Amino acid sequence: MTTLSTPKTDGILSRQIAFAAAFLLPTAKLLEAPSILAKDAAGDLLFPALLHFLVQAGVLFAVLVAASRSEKPLLTRLQEKLGRGTIVLYILYGAYFVFAALLPLLDLEKYTYAVFFDTSPTVFSFVFFFFLAAFACTKGIKGIGRIADLCLFLFVFPFLALIVMSLTETDFSRLLPLFGTKFGDTMSAFTHATPYFSDAILLLPLVGNLRYEKGDTLKILGGYGVGAASTLLFLAVFFGIYGSIAPREHYAFSKIAQYFPALSTVGRIDLIFVYLLTAVLFFCTCLPLQYTVDLTCRMVGTERRTLFSALLCGALFVFVLYANRHYDFFHTLIRGHLGWIFWFVADMVPLFLLFLPKEREVKRG
Amino acid sequence: MGVTTLRENLQKNIAAVKQLLPSEDILTYEFETADGVSCAFVYVDGVVDKQLLGELVAKPLSNMNLQNEGGRYKNTLELIQNLVLPTELKEQKKLEDIGKEILNGNSLLLVDGYPSGVIVDAKSLPMRTITEPPTDVAVRGPREGFIEDIKTNMSLVRKRLKTPALRFETLRVGKQSDTAVAICWLEGTANADVKAEVKQKIQEIQIDSVPDSSYIAAFLTPRKHGIFHSLGKTEKPDVFAAKLSEGRVGILVDGSPIALTAPFLLMEDLQSGEDYFITPFIATIFRFLRLVAVFVAILLPALYLSAQIFKLHLFPLSLTLTIASSVRDIPLSPNLEMFVVLFLLEVLKEASIRMPKYVGMSLSVVGALVLGETAVSAGFLSTPAIIIVAFSGICMYTVPEFVETGSVLRWIFLIVAGSIGPFGIVLLGAFLLYYLVTADAFGTPVLAPFSPLIIHDLRDTVAKYDILRLKERPEVLRTNNRTRIRLPRKTSGQGGRS
Repeated sequence: MTTLSTPKTDGILSRQIAFAAAFLLPTAKLLEAPSILAKDAAGDLLFPALLHFLVQAGVLFAVLVAASRSEKPLLTRLQEKLGRGTIVLYILYGAYFVFAALLPLLDLEKYTYAVFFDTSPTVFSFVFFFFLAAFACTKGIKGIGRIADLCLFLFVFPFLALIVMSLTETDFSRLLPLFGTKFGDTMSAFTHATPYFSDAILLLPLVGNLRYEKGDTLKILGGYGVGAASTLLFLAVFFGIYGSIAPREHYAFSKIAQYFPALSTVGRIDLIFVYLLTAVLFFCTCLPLQYTVDLTCRMVGTERRTLFSALLCGALFVFVLYANRHYDFFHTLIRGHLGWIFWFVADMVPLFLLFLPKEREVKRG
Repeated sequence: MGVTTLRENLQKNIAAVKQLLPSEDILTYEFETADGVSCAFVYVDGVVDKQLLGELVAKPLSNMNLQNEGGRYKNTLELIQNLVLPTELKEQKKLEDIGKEILNGNSLLLVDGYPSGVIVDAKSLPMRTITEPPTDVAVRGPREGFIEDIKTNMSLVRKRLKTPALRFETLRVGKQSDTAVAICWLEGTANADVKAEVKQKIQEIQIDSVPDSSYIAAFLTPRKHGIFHSLGKTEKPDVFAAKLSEGRVGILVDGSPIALTAPFLLMEDLQSGEDYFITPFIATIFRFLRLVAVFVAILLPALYLSAQIFKLHLFPLSLTLTIASSVRDIPLSPNLEMFVVLFLLEVLKEASIRMPKYVGMSLSVVGALVLGETAVSAGFLSTPAIIIVAFSGICMYTVPEFVETGSVLRWIFLIVAGSIGPFGIVLLGAFLLYYLVTADAFGTPVLAPFSPLIIHDLRDTVAKYDILRLKERPEVLRTNNRTRIRLPRKTSGQGGRS
């Protein structure tokens, strides 16, 4: 029989969660999501994205409201309430995070080969990413918080640099007329991009470890707002540059500044910023894997993460090796047929946290 | 069971001490008082000031009538204290303690008829004078450096911190070397937990000898095999005192001019003592320059190699063509060429540090001109590779404390870049960042104040704020006394124009 370990508050701060929302999560939306949104929504690509952000902000708000009802971390209360029944949730979310990691991993692999190599790399080149992932998985939630802090520097400067370099070539009139795309197509873009915008669930394990203080909701939602705003700005600039060919421009952030006039003289210095954003993207891709290992360790009642990290990363490497030949199939499968999983597990189930009873007033932080 | 304490018979006492310390550099000097009472000094040859001993102790004693005067005193210490010129004296009876005192450079005075000895401090240990440390040369600011004598080093610190709050606690480490290791801190400022952890770790050390502070550092470091150091190192008393004043705990080791400080933040390597003696704006520019230089030193050879093999777009077209024409006839692969040049740099560096100074100049000429120039003209190496590695080597020395770590990192990045190109560089960079953000030493994150972000502490990192804005000590050090500058309050009559 497995025994549940007492959930440990792993020293995460609301500021770090806000930074994760503002600077870590947006990178996942700057890779394939822009071309996917542009494919169906064309110049109206901002609307499905905005709709996603509003939905996710709503889910996040609900989670934060649940967290604000006690001084105890959410996961602790959940376990106290459900007892051994928490195992079911841990299994559900452990599996969900693995599922949620598949598409980003496949995208990351393709992106890596396209952006980092002029030559044709071996299929094993990508294996090294899993060393990083396995190492990250051995660190707890505290590590994610620290990385989120660091992303303030790793994300903001390269992102602004790329945007500034892109602005000279941007024609914002390409976004006009507003609502020029059929509603059905806009909603189709909204549906197809769902896996890239399921953010609230990626913040849930962090909020679950947070000792809530008054004002944290505003702080974290503010951080999410900054992330959303920067993504929308990026999408606008991206479509402003590429217009009708945007659906064919994959790996958006690696291409957005490539027409900056000075690059022909000084070389692709934009790649320095692209590489820095890639480091953030690596951290972002590791997130669901870290959560899976964390949940597994809670379930088994151990602090020894190395074995689970190695097993998970090894299995995912084998999957990527196999799936890269069937990239389009998996894209269609996950974004199309299995898209409901994101809605159900990531957006609906967390709402049940609102049913956790209020424990006592939270003091001002 | 052997003799463990002194007796009243002088010859037996001498024999007991000689039995305990049979080495031939342990000497005995016997003399008699005016009335024929036998006395003797036992000391280590070469570490005792014999003239001082003679003038202050032996000469007055030999002129005295000890039998008449001696009866008034209870023990040897009282006798000596009253009859000879004052010096640092201590009574000892146990042979084991006496042995330690003699080996530490003190002299033992034995008087016939007294069952105890007097330890006389008349040490004259050979030591070098206080000079500017070669590894930390300052254009502005103090130039004194620590030396190998712990007492001198302690006095250099005391000279700068004349406060009763400055505390030293000396521990003995090393079964054979019995080295003095002093923990220094400012009571009420340093974090008590850090001090306790340092003390506990030092007390737990089981080692035969401690030739240098790096041996102590190895025991204090939480990650034994890490390439990043977890303790601050300095040879300058002013820097050491400043760190103590900031709330850190210091460690001085007898026989080593390098003092250690804890906790350590990675940003400390980027700071130079000189930054505090120039304007904040200039200091910020210099720090930023050093930061960029370190990144260039570590990454430039790797980026050049990966650009050459995997990603030619990194270079502008004209540069690509220039490089292509330079490397066209080189028989070595880009990987091998870069390894050879970097290996040459490391060998030259090692050789120039260790070889006699008068050969150093010739080595520079041979290394830089003959080897480099000839290798290029012979078509063995390309000019860009030599320029890249040379520039990287120069950049590395902008932060001397980071040279060892930086050199290792440069090699690792080069190997990774040669294997999987820029992807490997980014991946390794991300890996190192993850490693560093989760690396804590003495409860302090080494990457602070960037991660975890401590906005207050950013004032003295890459940007150097004006000293008046550094009123509080760094938050990350968890000091008990945050305020370090108290500005006078402006009253209505002050500060206005008259």
